[in-house]
Amino acid sequence: MIIFLQNIVRFILLVLVQVFVLNNIRLLGYINPYIYILFILVLPVKFSRALSMLLAFILGLIIDLFSNTPGMHTFATVLVAFLRNPVINIFTTIEEGANPEPSFYTFGVSAFIKYIITLVLIHHTAFFFLEIFTFVGIGQTLLRIILNTLITSVILFGINSFKKK
Amino acid sequence: MKKLFAFLIKYSIVILFLFLEMFAFSMIVRNNGYQQSVFFSSSNTLLASLYSVSNSVIEYFYLKSTNEGLASENTALKNQVVELQNQLDALHPYIPDTGNIKISPDKEIRFIQAKVINNSTNKLLNFITLNKGTRDGIKPDMGVINEEGVVGVVSTVSEKFAVVIPVINPKIQINSKFLRNNYSGPVHWEGHNFRYANLNDIARHVVFSLGDTIVTSGYSQSFPEGILVGTVDDFKISDSDAYYYIKVKLGVNFRTLTHVKVIDYLNYQEQQNLEKTMQE
Repeated sequence: MIIFLQNIVRFILLVLVQVFVLNNIRLLGYINPYIYILFILVLPVKFSRALSMLLAFILGLIIDLFSNTPGMHTFATVLVAFLRNPVINIFTTIEEGANPEPSFYTFGVSAFIKYIITLVLIHHTAFFFLEIFTFVGIGQTLLRIILNTLITSVILFGINSFKKK
Repeated sequence: MKKLFAFLIKYSIVILFLFLEMFAFSMIVRNNGYQQSVFFSSSNTLLASLYSVSNSVIEYFYLKSTNEGLASENTALKNQVVELQNQLDALHPYIPDTGNIKISPDKEIRFIQAKVINNSTNKLLNFITLNKGTRDGIKPDMGVINEEGVVGVVSTVSEKFAVVIPVINPKIQINSKFLRNNYSGPVHWEGHNFRYANLNDIARHVVFSLGDTIVTSGYSQSFPEGILVGTVDDFKISDSDAYYYIKVKLGVNFRTLTHVKVIDYLNYQEQQNLEKTMQE
């Protein structure tokens, strides 16, 4: 129950921060970090995949509504929710019966860093290509993806390092 | 049926994933003008290329009938050419020399061919004399051109001769305009060099460049619109001036003038009367 409430609060907080703070950042014309996917990334490891995809769909839809980009965040976020479990299985081995939330503490530092960067990269690649919708000027798009992936990942690491335990 | 359910359950995650993603993608394509245009245009390109492939195959089956049609059309056209050639040869002595000067169709105009029998370029008040007069239909105020452009305006007429004030005479100004932006002003000769005149009254906001074409404006009854006057050869404007000083290279070389065409504007009298009643 506590975890349930915790996730609702996290959901709302991330949406608010994303929409009202980070979406207004256009540093150097390139950098606009999307940290709201943290909600999907730190769902418990054994959380239902179908349900996480539906949550991702709702989360993406809300962000889309606020940022006037119908479908793009939704697409990228659902993609992340779909690929989350395979990526977890690649980088870590979870003990039988355990159901931890991904963090530095539960995954170990290097596995967690790889996990976050991989999924953020997938999300940003999907999103920025959908946004620009062309392969013309692909260098520009790739630069945008890489810079934003780095910034978003650093912010997510920062948020996670405050976590207790 | 059982197998189908088993399949659906086994792949339920993937099916849900695909369903959600398709939903999101349809949202992207439907609601964003840019993505919409790109997506639908690329699908159109695909369709178009398919059509062109199928067409390139099918067209071979119709080559024979197309060939026959072209051959019969060819014969008909050849017959027509021969007939017209005969007519043209028969009419040849009567065809007037109208040149190839563009005339706007809303003005009714007739050309009278004339020969220059006296001409000067080295004086201040230059005049040209033509070998046609009132008995050939020439009246004062008619415009005179040749194939290079504007020559001048008929001033006085006798029975067999006409005197033309050419552009290179300070007594007349030819109302002209830039072909590219229609800003108009009078072209006036200042009496130095018979190849150059000035275009006046062009304000400093007008955009033009060296080599721009200057044509008649059509605001006078003497010339229809669009006959070449000259090209911009040089221009300058100082900070305090409101108008440009524009040096125009005239289209006509007055030293080599031999044959000219006098423009007979058939509605001249009507337009003149109408404008006179307004002034009174």
